[in-house]
Amino acid sequence: MRPDRRLVVAATCVALYVAVPVLCASNLYLMSMIVAALTIGGIALAWALLGNLGGLVSFGHAAFFGVGSYASALLVMKAGWPIAAALPAAGMVAVLSAVLVLPALRLRGAYFALAVLAYAHIFRIVTTEWTSLTNGAKGLSNIPRFPLIAGFDFASKTGAYLIVLTLVLAFALIYARIRSSHYGLALRAMHESEAATRAVGVNSTLLKAMMLFVSAFMTGVMGAFNAHYINFLEPDYAFSGLWTMLPIVAAIFGGYRTITGPIVGAVVVYLADQLVFKEVMPVGHQIILGALLGLMILRAPDGLLPLLTFRRRTGTILRHA
Amino acid sequence: MTELTLQALWSGVLLGSSYALIALGLAVVFGTMHVINLAHGELVVLAAYVAYTCESQLGLNPLLAIPAAVIVVCAAAALTYLCVDRIAKDRELNSLLLTYGIAVMLTNGVLMLFKADIRSTKSTWLTDAVVMGPLFSMRSEIVFFIVALALMALLWWWLTRTWSGRALRAVASNRDAARLMGIEPRRIELASFVVAGLLAAFAGVAIYSFGVVSPSLGTTLTVKAFVITVLAGMGSIPGVLVGALLLGIVETMTTTFGSSALQELAGMVLFLVVLFVMPNGLFGRART
Amino acid sequence: MMRMWIGRAALAMSFAAVCGAALADEFLVGVEVPLSGALARVGTGMHEGISVAADVFNRKSGKHKVKLITIDDESSPAKAVAAVEKLASQGVVAIDGGYGSNNIGPASDAANKAGLVYITSGGVDEGLTQRGFNTFYRINNTAGYSKAMLGLLADMKASNVSIVYLTKEATSALAKDVDKALTAKGVKTTMHPFDASVTDFKPIVNKIKLQDKPDVIAMVGYETDYAGILRAAKVLKPDVKAMVGVWSLATTKMAEDFPDLMDNVYGTALLPFPAEFTTADGKDFADTYKKLYGKEPDYLGQFGYVQSMLLFEAIARAADNGTLKSGGVATELRKTNRDTLIGRVQFDEKGDNPNFSHRMGQHQGKKIAVVWPAESANAKMKFPGVPW
Repeated sequence: MRPDRRLVVAATCVALYVAVPVLCASNLYLMSMIVAALTIGGIALAWALLGNLGGLVSFGHAAFFGVGSYASALLVMKAGWPIAAALPAAGMVAVLSAVLVLPALRLRGAYFALAVLAYAHIFRIVTTEWTSLTNGAKGLSNIPRFPLIAGFDFASKTGAYLIVLTLVLAFALIYARIRSSHYGLALRAMHESEAATRAVGVNSTLLKAMMLFVSAFMTGVMGAFNAHYINFLEPDYAFSGLWTMLPIVAAIFGGYRTITGPIVGAVVVYLADQLVFKEVMPVGHQIILGALLGLMILRAPDGLLPLLTFRRRTGTILRHA
Repeated sequence: MTELTLQALWSGVLLGSSYALIALGLAVVFGTMHVINLAHGELVVLAAYVAYTCESQLGLNPLLAIPAAVIVVCAAAALTYLCVDRIAKDRELNSLLLTYGIAVMLTNGVLMLFKADIRSTKSTWLTDAVVMGPLFSMRSEIVFFIVALALMALLWWWLTRTWSGRALRAVASNRDAARLMGIEPRRIELASFVVAGLLAAFAGVAIYSFGVVSPSLGTTLTVKAFVITVLAGMGSIPGVLVGALLLGIVETMTTTFGSSALQELAGMVLFLVVLFVMPNGLFGRART
Repeated sequence: MMRMWIGRAALAMSFAAVCGAALADEFLVGVEVPLSGALARVGTGMHEGISVAADVFNRKSGKHKVKLITIDDESSPAKAVAAVEKLASQGVVAIDGGYGSNNIGPASDAANKAGLVYITSGGVDEGLTQRGFNTFYRINNTAGYSKAMLGLLADMKASNVSIVYLTKEATSALAKDVDKALTAKGVKTTMHPFDASVTDFKPIVNKIKLQDKPDVIAMVGYETDYAGILRAAKVLKPDVKAMVGVWSLATTKMAEDFPDLMDNVYGTALLPFPAEFTTADGKDFADTYKKLYGKEPDYLGQFGYVQSMLLFEAIARAADNGTLKSGGVATELRKTNRDTLIGRVQFDEKGDNPNFSHRMGQHQGKKIAVVWPAESANAKMKFPGVPW
């Protein structure tokens, strides 16, 4: 990275880690909103990664989110694992669930997108019925909170904020690394022509599967975070369609092609929805999100943020995979 | 035991026929344009609420509300097509996102207008029992079963015997070649959406007449329709009917002999089995 | 001399005015209810009762007034927690409301962390009162509902009961309670669980009709489920003597929405319809409800009203004692012991109301009559009787 760019990044990090808690910590409600927005942002990032690098659109990311939530909660509550170990383990369980999704890779793009949605439904039903493991429709309550470390209570709003911020930034870093690695090169080549890539010997299916796993891992970890933050889970909540819808709107709004786009999009869209739209339209305020998504696809497929920062790209959101 | 089985099969067939109506609409659009209309389930729900409005505000029997439902839903379908048509590139995947957005708008729009309550018809004529030997059903189920069969026959006739229907099949198989033959693809595509709207309208009034509707039903229906299309295999209309009946029967049999809690799961498992074992569906042709 | 008297009088009056102003406090009460989402209808009903209570209380109370701040929790546990936190940050002295044990659990947890009392009538789950919170209070519980259903079944002398129930938490708990009690008395029971996604109940009702052949079909679910079961029963016409449900069934709304399905059906009902309120408290409630909402109150409003009145009274007492900021609301609430629209209410150390016992009503023509227990009944039950 060029030196002045590095400075910008460093300054932003300082602002995020220091300024936000200092300014907002007293307003618990606002902090709640920010933490929730960043959770959505993490999923949006994972979703965009799958789309950009894997060329796959998914309408069922809630599946991985829910699996991660329950996995982490159960590992801590029933197997006594510490939360720090449970979070990545939950991500791995989400990856395992993604293995079940592999047969769907054979399907054409649109079919795959909906197949994952069907999986989300399946996981939700299984979670509801497997009462001996998951407590079924009753849900899990009193899920252990984040611990006290060196005198700092990570279960507080500020603590949770720092954790989710770190997770999201870590994932962004991973995304950037993959993109600039030779895998990323292969993936981008794949987008140009899958046939040509195959001819050269790159296994496109394997690459797509890897991206699915990475995306599932990230989403699973966000789910795990949320479980220990909210301290409560039930199947309808963990696998709720909102965990699919909001990240999609966020990623499209913020700029699908960029790494920071989905995150910033999530913060803007979520805060706008909760603080503005909901006040104006207490019932059905998500209609605005639907309209936003539609408009974005038609008018500004690259999201609004690239427009604002004067960066232009060629106008497609997705290429054939 | 046989009585129980027969009733389960019969209920399954009736249920499957309405699933077929819903899935056909999705299949027609997908066959023509390779676009999955994620708002399709919402169109069905919209029709149901039109029937509700006619019944509650005007005192009309839901059957009489069908023309109104057809008009409203076909208009909504046409509007959806117009939006989809404006997608610049990568229509197949971008249309998913666009129709997803439209679906969210429709669900919330219905929620705002009608609130979250569940609605169902009050017409006693429709909910009265029709008994045929050991088989019980509601009059509305029988009526709409016949309607579904009629519509499917009509659809088949249209696709195979009329010029416009065959034009649709031409566009479905090769858009550019069809254009060379003098067929204007965009008009055909609009027609496919409107036909889907027509089928959705009947399906919506059907559901209102023998089931219950609520704003959140849309997503469930879209998923069911999608599952059936996968079961059937791409591009196969008769396959959709078979797939729908299969799903209906599997659901009722599971409820009768297993636990109703597994009913939804049964359909999903069927979907998974087909996906793993026969990715082209029961009737689909292999595609590269 | 006159001047001195006038001066003293003026001083005394201004002193009294200042004292009066200080004593005429307005207390903020946070209301967290679902006004959208799956529980929108029941949340709105409860909210209406709470608003009526605030209106009545402010009119009757001299120096203490309450002001409600309402936040919609969208039927979601996460939003319920956020709502409670927001209310806490706005300086409310207690939280009133909540529907659905899945939402109430986390929300009352947040309230407890903020040191605020949480009172509700929307959560009957056993676990809610076993957390050792001294801030959690509820005026109804599963036991009260099962007592009512069992009482009615005993009066009917049912010897074979099929129980159809939704697999959600509150409904399964009640169904299993009833099942256990009936089996202990030697009554034959068959359990038929169903999932929330089921819309066609004919397979289940057919199983009951052909295999169980019961005297009574007991239904434990919500409005959609009752409608579906009754509709299926109307088609299949099983040979039973009664259809008995629990909450949300013996209501005017069900009679309006599904008039052909309700006749002779039983459900829990606090008061008959048309309601005749005999106490002054009851009349006040009904009149204010009609004035504010233009309709007759239903059971949701009744519960919301009772829980709120008890809360406001406790707040007033705590303010008088000066213990408002030091946990006085909880202490005063624990001392509650009075007759209300739902009977006598007291709170044990876990926050439960041990006196709670619901009543059973039956749709009879256009009216709803209370038919059990005998002390509260205003009509005899029409038994055997079914809607077809």
